[in-house]
Amino acid sequence: MLPIAPGIIPFGAVMGTVSADAHMSFFQTVSMNAIVFAGASQIAAVELMKYQAAIWVVVATGLIINLRFLLYSAALSPVVQQEPFAKKLFSAFCVTDQSYAVMSAKQDKFRTNHEAVEFYIGSCVCMLIVWHSSVMAGYVFGNFAPKSISLDYAIPLSFVALLIPTLKNHKYILVAIFSSVVSLLLNDLPYRTGLMATALLGIAVAYFLTRKKGDA
Amino acid sequence: MIPQGYYWVNVLLLAIGTLAIRGSIIALSAKVKISDRLKELFTFIPAAILPAFVAPAVFFHKGAVDWVFGKERAVVLVLATILCVVTRSTLATIVFGLVALYLFTSF
Repeated sequence: MLPIAPGIIPFGAVMGTVSADAHMSFFQTVSMNAIVFAGASQIAAVELMKYQAAIWVVVATGLIINLRFLLYSAALSPVVQQEPFAKKLFSAFCVTDQSYAVMSAKQDKFRTNHEAVEFYIGSCVCMLIVWHSSVMAGYVFGNFAPKSISLDYAIPLSFVALLIPTLKNHKYILVAIFSSVVSLLLNDLPYRTGLMATALLGIAVAYFLTRKKGDA
Repeated sequence: MIPQGYYWVNVLLLAIGTLAIRGSIIALSAKVKISDRLKELFTFIPAAILPAFVAPAVFFHKGAVDWVFGKERAVVLVLATILCVVTRSTLATIVFGLVALYLFTSF
């Protein structure tokens, strides 16, 4: 688990810090963390709620960000089928980029599915501990940091750090540039609906960029 | 301030929806397969949605540094992006950005 902690700790700290910056209570911060447990969507939700975006925009944006979990869940599904319900539920709840990465890196080392699940659950518990403690540390920092430091600026910075590793070739870079420009043009749409429109247009562009010859 | 009722409705719906995404295929069966085409499209989601948060937030921010027309947040973001491409470090990107913006606006 240690190799992935450097990616989680600063991100958790940003989550805690921006929650404090948005005047969320400690209880609000901790409970959102406990029941959603998906960093990027939480930070996005806090950012949108600060501007009182429409509820459907907040929820739909968060869910689009979390849609990638569907892929991880599909990979995990055959491994956990023989386990009791509680373990299945816990395994599903702990699906994250990191738990998936750790699991797939070790895939060949397990003799049985049960052994893989035991390992997976162990790494999820580590993840939960690291994530919750870094968010709490960030929350404390956010409340005590001098006002001259623009903590809200940590949101765009952390999103850049999330985005860059996903830009695998020029098609991804094109989509990112397209999305930047369109989001500026659509910024005046009410209740931050421009965000949703930009995301859908961006996916549409990706669809055209990646279509194979012979497709309609 | 975020109103309490509004906050909890958003958080609960987000929590339920996220668990549904995480659990749906596990609950359905071991045999559900996602097509490669859809998998490929999923990998474009960050590129489609993250810049839509970042670009307006930094570009339309009214800054205080006159010689960059109040766009110091955009300037620092470009530098932080370059640093991120080079180092691939979340920590370095965030710390550099916050410190650079602080220095930029203090002098």
